Amino acid sequence: MNRQLHSPPMIELIKVSKQYPPDVVALKEVSLSIATGEMFFVIGRSGAGKTTLLKLICSMETPSNGLIEIAGQPIHQLKGRHRAKLRQRIGVAYQDFKLLIDRTTAENIAISMEVSYKKPQLIRKRVRSLLEQLDLADKHDSITGELSRGEQQRVTLARAIANSPAIILVDEPTGNLDAATTERVMNLLHKCNKSGATVVIATHDDSIYRDTSHRVLELRTGRLVNPVEEVSG
Amino acid sequence: MSFWFTVLRQLGRNLRQTWGSQLMTLLTVSLSVLIFAFFYLVYTNMLTLGDKLGDDLSLIVYLEEEPEPELQEQLNRKIRSFDEVEEIRFVSRAEAYERFAAQLGENRDVLSDMPKDFLPPSIEIVPLKNLRSLNQMKVFSAYLARLPGSLKVQYGQDWVERFYYFTRLLSIIVLLSGTLLILTTIFMVAYTIRLTILGRQAELELLKLVGATNNYIRTPYLLEGFLQGLLGSSFGLCSLFVLFNWIKLRFSGPVLLNLFEFSFFSPTVSGTIIVVSILLCTLGSYAPMQKFLRI
Ligand SMILES: Nc1ncnc2c1ncn2[C@@H]1O[C@H](COP(=O)(O)OP(=O)(O)O)[C@@H](O)[C@H]1O
Ligand SMILES: [Mg+2]
Repeated sequence: MNRQLHSPPMIELIKVSKQYPPDVVALKEVSLSIATGEMFFVIGRSGAGKTTLLKLICSMETPSNGLIEIAGQPIHQLKGRHRAKLRQRIGVAYQDFKLLIDRTTAENIAISMEVSYKKPQLIRKRVRSLLEQLDLADKHDSITGELSRGEQQRVTLARAIANSPAIILVDEPTGNLDAATTERVMNLLHKCNKSGATVVIATHDDSIYRDTSHRVLELRTGRLVNPVEEVSG
Repeated sequence: MSFWFTVLRQLGRNLRQTWGSQLMTLLTVSLSVLIFAFFYLVYTNMLTLGDKLGDDLSLIVYLEEEPEPELQEQLNRKIRSFDEVEEIRFVSRAEAYERFAAQLGENRDVLSDMPKDFLPPSIEIVPLKNLRSLNQMKVFSAYLARLPGSLKVQYGQDWVERFYYFTRLLSIIVLLSGTLLILTTIFMVAYTIRLTILGRQAELELLKLVGATNNYIRTPYLLEGFLQGLLGSSFGLCSLFVLFNWIKLRFSGPVLLNLFEFSFFSPTVSGTIIVVSILLCTLGSYAPMQKFLRI
């Protein structure tokens, strides 16, 4: 992983805190640097602040304190077109999916490519290929509202990576999946990572990070826990 | 290329989702354009009619005696001191007789027994062709009646007055229906677009999250307003044109309407009405976006 540590950080958090009104402290002074092309696991119990961390990185939420830089740009200070362009380079698989439940699977996945004006035939090809890899080939024209949660979860993931973004943020990607499907999902994420994407996975499913060679950091009530401490504790 | 493809598809989705209210808006826009254009058409035709009437509209002061050149000069000054006029003509008894005879044409024999000076001499005054002097006709004629040697002043009193009250009333109606047009287009379009936007909150949220630019999100709605304006005003004008031709055909017999040619809007005026409607509707679609699509 030496190569990655020498390249400039893709995601940089400096003393980032997030407080939800009225006084819920979701993150407290988190400093973190994720290199370009790195695969990174954020773990922790439910309510530890994993989702909040991802939302801050994709600029869905603004930090109460601290600085967040994506590819060297302070994302929360960007406005209009610039912020939109940066968001196009970040694919997010939300924990609550955020699917348009009255649209088909294919339409849902296509959205992330449409906003950067990709050619329709390119979009069609990419959608089919992703559905194939996620074992959803027969769901191309299904209304997403009628899919099972496991299927919806994979559609969300497909939408996140369809536009080949530089950063992929995945929130609990395997919560509703069986072991075989989990492996398919992880294979796809590894593939994206190998082709250059920086991947951040938030999870409490230890089966997906147990044997990994990648960095794993734990959040505990909004603070990062030193992994060495974790082992000795 | 892909931009317009995506924009048009989004537009299609919007139209499909709220086609009911879209249709209502289209109808309202068409109807407002129809109402406005109808009154405006009547108004412009009235103005042309007024111009034509003005051509042979003159005040005639009948005199007791034919005035000497000196007196003519004096009368001339007095008349011009009241108001600027287009022209002053003195008509002698003989001229009056000739004219009358010419008007009678083939029936001029009836005059054979009459003396050549049975008609009184007169002054013909052609007022300036503007609404102000036409509205002052009454005061002017009262003034002329007091000129030395004047017998009687004649003009199409009732007629002229009614005509100009009517045109003035029409101009007010045109203004009112124009305001109606502006209000309905802006508010109806704003209302339907608001409906569309509220019906797609989830999608708009998501679009922002996946990095859609403001243009990407807004263009379909602006285009929707543009289309409403274009189609609405075109339908309105087309129905007016059909109505216009029907009336022309239906009443082509009676003399009154044959007196002069009614004309439809010139292409420039029609174009202006369409362009203004488009601008209004696009403005109407822009308003709710400012409110509901903050990014
Ligand atoms: N929108 C919100 N408003 C208020 N509190 C929130 C909101 N989102 C998350 N929280 C709180 O912030 C803390 C961290 O939540 P979250 O980031 O979702 O944790 P995780 O994803 O690790 O389960 C929790 O206590 C949660 O209740
Ligand atoms: Mg979470």
